[in-house]
Amino acid sequence: MTTDLIHWLLYGGAMGLIVIGIVGVVTLNNIFRIVLALAIAEAGANLLLVIAGYRFDAIAPILTGSSANQLMVDPVPQAMVLTSIVIGVGIQALALALVVKVYQNYKTLDIGEIHQQLSTDIDNSSGVISLLSSEQPAGERPLPEPSAQHETAQLNQGGDK
Amino acid sequence: MNNIAFTVALPLLAAFLLPIISNSSKSAARFIGPFVLLAMLGFSLAYFNMLEHPVAIALGGFRPPLGITFHLDNLSLLMASIIPLIMLVLWPYANIEGYREESLLLLLAGSASGLALSGDLFNIYVFYELLSVASFGLAAANRTGAAFAATFRYLVMSGLGTVLALTGIGLIYTQTGTLNLAHIGLLASQLNNPAGLSAFALIVIGIGVKAEIFPVNGWVPEVYSTASPRISALLAGLISKLAVLVIVRLLVVAYQGPEALTLLLVLGMLGIIWGELSAWRSKDLKRMLSFSSIGQLGMVLVAFSIPGEAGMVAGIAMMLHHLVVKPGLFMLTEHWNGSLNKLAGAAKSSPLAAVLFMLFALSLIGVPPFPGFWAKLLLVTGLVEANTPLYLTALAVLLSATVIEAHYLMHTAIRMYSKGKKKQVKKLHQTPFTLTIISVFAVVLITALITMAPLGNKLQHIAAESSDRALYINTTFAARHTPVRKQISLIKQQSKVQ
Repeated sequence: MTTDLIHWLLYGGAMGLIVIGIVGVVTLNNIFRIVLALAIAEAGANLLLVIAGYRFDAIAPILTGSSANQLMVDPVPQAMVLTSIVIGVGIQALALALVVKVYQNYKTLDIGEIHQQLSTDIDNSSGVISLLSSEQPAGERPLPEPSAQHETAQLNQGGDK
Repeated sequence: MNNIAFTVALPLLAAFLLPIISNSSKSAARFIGPFVLLAMLGFSLAYFNMLEHPVAIALGGFRPPLGITFHLDNLSLLMASIIPLIMLVLWPYANIEGYREESLLLLLAGSASGLALSGDLFNIYVFYELLSVASFGLAAANRTGAAFAATFRYLVMSGLGTVLALTGIGLIYTQTGTLNLAHIGLLASQLNNPAGLSAFALIVIGIGVKAEIFPVNGWVPEVYSTASPRISALLAGLISKLAVLVIVRLLVVAYQGPEALTLLLVLGMLGIIWGELSAWRSKDLKRMLSFSSIGQLGMVLVAFSIPGEAGMVAGIAMMLHHLVVKPGLFMLTEHWNGSLNKLAGAAKSSPLAAVLFMLFALSLIGVPPFPGFWAKLLLVTGLVEANTPLYLTALAVLLSATVIEAHYLMHTAIRMYSKGKKKQVKKLHQTPFTLTIISVFAVVLITALITMAPLGNKLQHIAAESSDRALYINTTFAARHTPVRKQISLIKQQSKVQ
């Protein structure tokens, strides 16, 4: 009865970590915090895998000779978690490197601002007038010539550099 | 007999040796990539010719379900041969100085063939992660601020997908206690419960980040507009298909119930609607193509959601067609990257490129004699035969999407053939090198058009083989003792009854 309760508590904890991580990634604004939220979600998934192979009355899956007849916990999820922790560390390092690069280029860590600057950059590089521009007047207006559009785009790009 | 493992091992080895070799000899480093890709192609084609029935190879001599298996059938070997082929076409031959991109491309090739061949869920997860890391590096290879920001958003979405997929894999393990796909197939009845089905949903959404499936494809337009066209072509053409292949394998082996199929159908429909409408609205060629590729992958998903062999053949046909057409179209954006308005006069500047665009566009829309028409026809007949309200809704969505597709693609073509300003027209000139690459895809498309009848038969054969669940299980466990065989014969009887 108690082991059952503990089991469910553990599963609930792992699921909770995953949910906390996902909610964090979706709602947080600072990209560094997003990376941390991702790490929490990964920890939750790993914990879930370990719990999947755990048994209360069993020993660690190491053959020592003396205790060969005893029950062992399932070693397969542990091997998998080891792999996925290593992969997770790699991805997090890559994410942090990208955070540094993004900060160097855009001078901000706010995901909303980064998204906006990214859209403007893409629009500029293709010579399309940005749809997200807040200065853009609504309704009818004299649209500039396509060539003029292109020149402003180039000017903007020059300004960015 | 284990030569096929070289298609994974060789590129991985070369990818990590390349920086070292490049230090001592730059010219040797330049040749090593294409050479490795040719070797990969040789190995997979040799197996492709030899293969009479599917084979499972136990790596390291450990029998399944303990060891990791490679599952070799026509579908996986076809994908394994396409990987080096498309990489050879899109290889950065002009890049003399650096080795970074080559190294990442080789990493991508190795993990991609691992993904295509592997018959073990956790092994698939590892190769998928490797593939992700390589694609992050390639997406950021332009080293502009926009590329870094787009890659970061891609990485976060992909990382979240990985967590979901891993949770799904964990759930499958708790239900069945195995990760071997064939063994999961044997125990599929244990997955027909809420936990098993949510595992499938989690894996679909998780792996679906690469397959550009509906709710998790926000990265697509950003990455494809900031990465170089070659990388976009590779990601849209090849990598998305490999992710779809993983989902299809899982679907065939373990999830034949209506719930899983409905999930794919609904996600596919939403993908079509969102992708095609966004493509229609977009104002530059790169984003138009990225959104259209989301729509096309939605169609692929809808095709695979049709039960049985009809769905499989339609899905494979749509997949292969998109694999040829979309890289060709993306390569066109190398010099036509401006807004659609600026494409005026493009046909005058490089007539061949405009003709190729017309060819790809017509095939993508599905105008008769082109291969795209036959692929869509298979899909439409499949949907009609499935004949439930939901499938008929999908049919309506598909046909209206085709109209939208025709509108925006033809609108672009008309712009190309209209008169443009002289100064701008000069910028639209395509270099011979790019034109050669695009022509390769066009030649493949036309060859497919000419050899349509034998190709169709071959596709039917492949689809029949890969939609056969009992065959997949039997292949892996053929060498085992009778109890498993009994189980397999039981499954066969069950599927006959169904």
